Amino acid sequence: MSALSLTPELQLSVEQFYYQEARMLDSRQYQQWFALVTEDLRYIVPSRVNVMVNNRERGNEDMISIERELEGTDSDGCPLREEGYLQMMIRVERAYKMNSWSENPPARTRRLVSNVEILADEEDVLKVISNFHMHYARPGNDNYLYAGQRRDTLRRVDGGYKIAHREVVLDYANIDYPTVGLFF
Amino acid sequence: MPFKVSELVNDDATLVSRRCWTDSDVYELEKKGVFGKSWLFLGHESQIKQPGDFVQAYMCETPIILARGSDNGVYASINSCTHRGLPVCRADHGNAKRFVCPYHNWSYTVEGDLVTIPQERELQSRPDKSQLGLKQVPRLESWRGFYFGSFDKDIVSLEDYLGDQRFYLEAFLDRFEGGIEFVGAPHRWVIDANWKLPMENQLGDVNHGPFLHAAVIPPEANQEIIDHGLSAVTEPGHGATFRLMPEDTPVDNVAWGMETPGSILGSAEVHEYLRATQAKAEERVGPLRARMKGLTYGVYPNLSFLWSNASFKVSHPRGPGKVEYWSWSVVPADAPDSIKKTLRTNYTSLFGPGGILEQEDSEVWSQQFRGSNFDFADDRPYFYGLGLNEEKPHPDLPGMVDVTANEHYARAFFTRWRDALQAVEE
Repeated sequence: MSALSLTPELQLSVEQFYYQEARMLDSRQYQQWFALVTEDLRYIVPSRVNVMVNNRERGNEDMISIERELEGTDSDGCPLREEGYLQMMIRVERAYKMNSWSENPPARTRRLVSNVEILADEEDVLKVISNFHMHYARPGNDNYLYAGQRRDTLRRVDGGYKIAHREVVLDYANIDYPTVGLFF
Repeated sequence: MPFKVSELVNDDATLVSRRCWTDSDVYELEKKGVFGKSWLFLGHESQIKQPGDFVQAYMCETPIILARGSDNGVYASINSCTHRGLPVCRADHGNAKRFVCPYHNWSYTVEGDLVTIPQERELQSRPDKSQLGLKQVPRLESWRGFYFGSFDKDIVSLEDYLGDQRFYLEAFLDRFEGGIEFVGAPHRWVIDANWKLPMENQLGDVNHGPFLHAAVIPPEANQEIIDHGLSAVTEPGHGATFRLMPEDTPVDNVAWGMETPGSILGSAEVHEYLRATQAKAEERVGPLRARMKGLTYGVYPNLSFLWSNASFKVSHPRGPGKVEYWSWSVVPADAPDSIKKTLRTNYTSLFGPGGILEQEDSEVWSQQFRGSNFDFADDRPYFYGLGLNEEKPHPDLPGMVDVTANEHYARAFFTRWRDALQAVEE
């Protein structure tokens, strides 16, 4: 990995990409959004378990590390979601069908993306983490706030970016949202 | 209670009152008559392999610790300190030598015995610790690695309780030489619904599929259910739906796991594994059950199973209008790790809190509660009469059997439920 050469232009271009992405999703332009992902997309939402702190690491940061709580793709546990391009295509197609009853009438969303931190720039890919808040309001239900971190691999394609890998770390203790089957 | 239980469900259970779903007095009767008198699923042996391994569970709203003791036995204790009642086990799962209450540090073994009262060093008297352990669940039994607990010390054995439902459960569980294992911790989420509707949904209601899930389930999948689907009720409260495929069905159309997204997108290695498993099915579960391609099951009162997605689920009530829903992916225990990781996505793609089908289910379950929880409509109970008396004994299959559109599974459930509530009604 080459040393990260972080320039205002690089930071700005990544932030702009995320703002456009959020705008498309909030505007329900999922078909346009779907052009922002690669065909080898991996989209992971780890599940988050409540485990006691690690006694053996007493006094160290590892004692309470977040990673211990995540059941992702490499774990023996079960992530909430581990999807590729085809599953995501089904979700996009579903959004435009009459009988997607939980989204008809459609829910309202507003995404705020921040703390965009470029961790690595490896020629054709960037590793980027960002935080998000998503307000979600489904008719006939309460309003909900999803909070979390996205751990992305962005690929440089045609002078822009595409999402090749996204891991969504949701900050819930108990899931009392109507669904986590959304585009985060 | 302003009404009698007999007013809630009519004789043949074709009419079910809105109050069954919403009334807090009914819920109190359910705790006594249903959850106090049944076998309730706690966990699977694959979750507690080593001494000290534990998982949390619930029996209705009562928190339970299911643990493997130092003697390798399995114990089910109520998770509440004998001193001030706090939960002594604070993690979803793990491995422990002791459970320590945070308040005054009374500590218990994983078997539930009280071992330390730190305060007693400063006092003259010594409480009798043998009388102060965690309360044990009165009955604990297992079948095929599935542990169930009951608050009713006089309840029939678990095997008798499951009865002929075992025939249908074995059709899945016995297919795999090494048995099945539960994949990690359950997914748990809260739905503003009554606990009985998720249960009813999988007890036999595959008929909602082509309507509620039409955006995702293809018409040919529904046609297969119309052509070959059956709904069996071995005894009231249990239920199984499945397709009984013709004898000449190609292996890919009958093998477990082949029809779900993880497998469809999976590698050739996965497909070969599923075909090889099906090739042994006749020898393992017999020619009839080898042709079974399951849909959904229910075990009274609140355990469900999805065959193709290989998921067990429990509907834990949290009052009349709230459910804490738990679901697990299960995989063949002896499958290679890479195949297990593919097979678990048969569940996550469609079910669980992020599942593309489940999001529709959760929505209608909560809307049904909303649609029940108001006044001035009690003269319009819900109609449960579809297919009344059309179910019949089957020459080869246990239970009463008919097409899946017949709501006999739900009538049978509500008959048992009504009788269970009447038995504890004052």
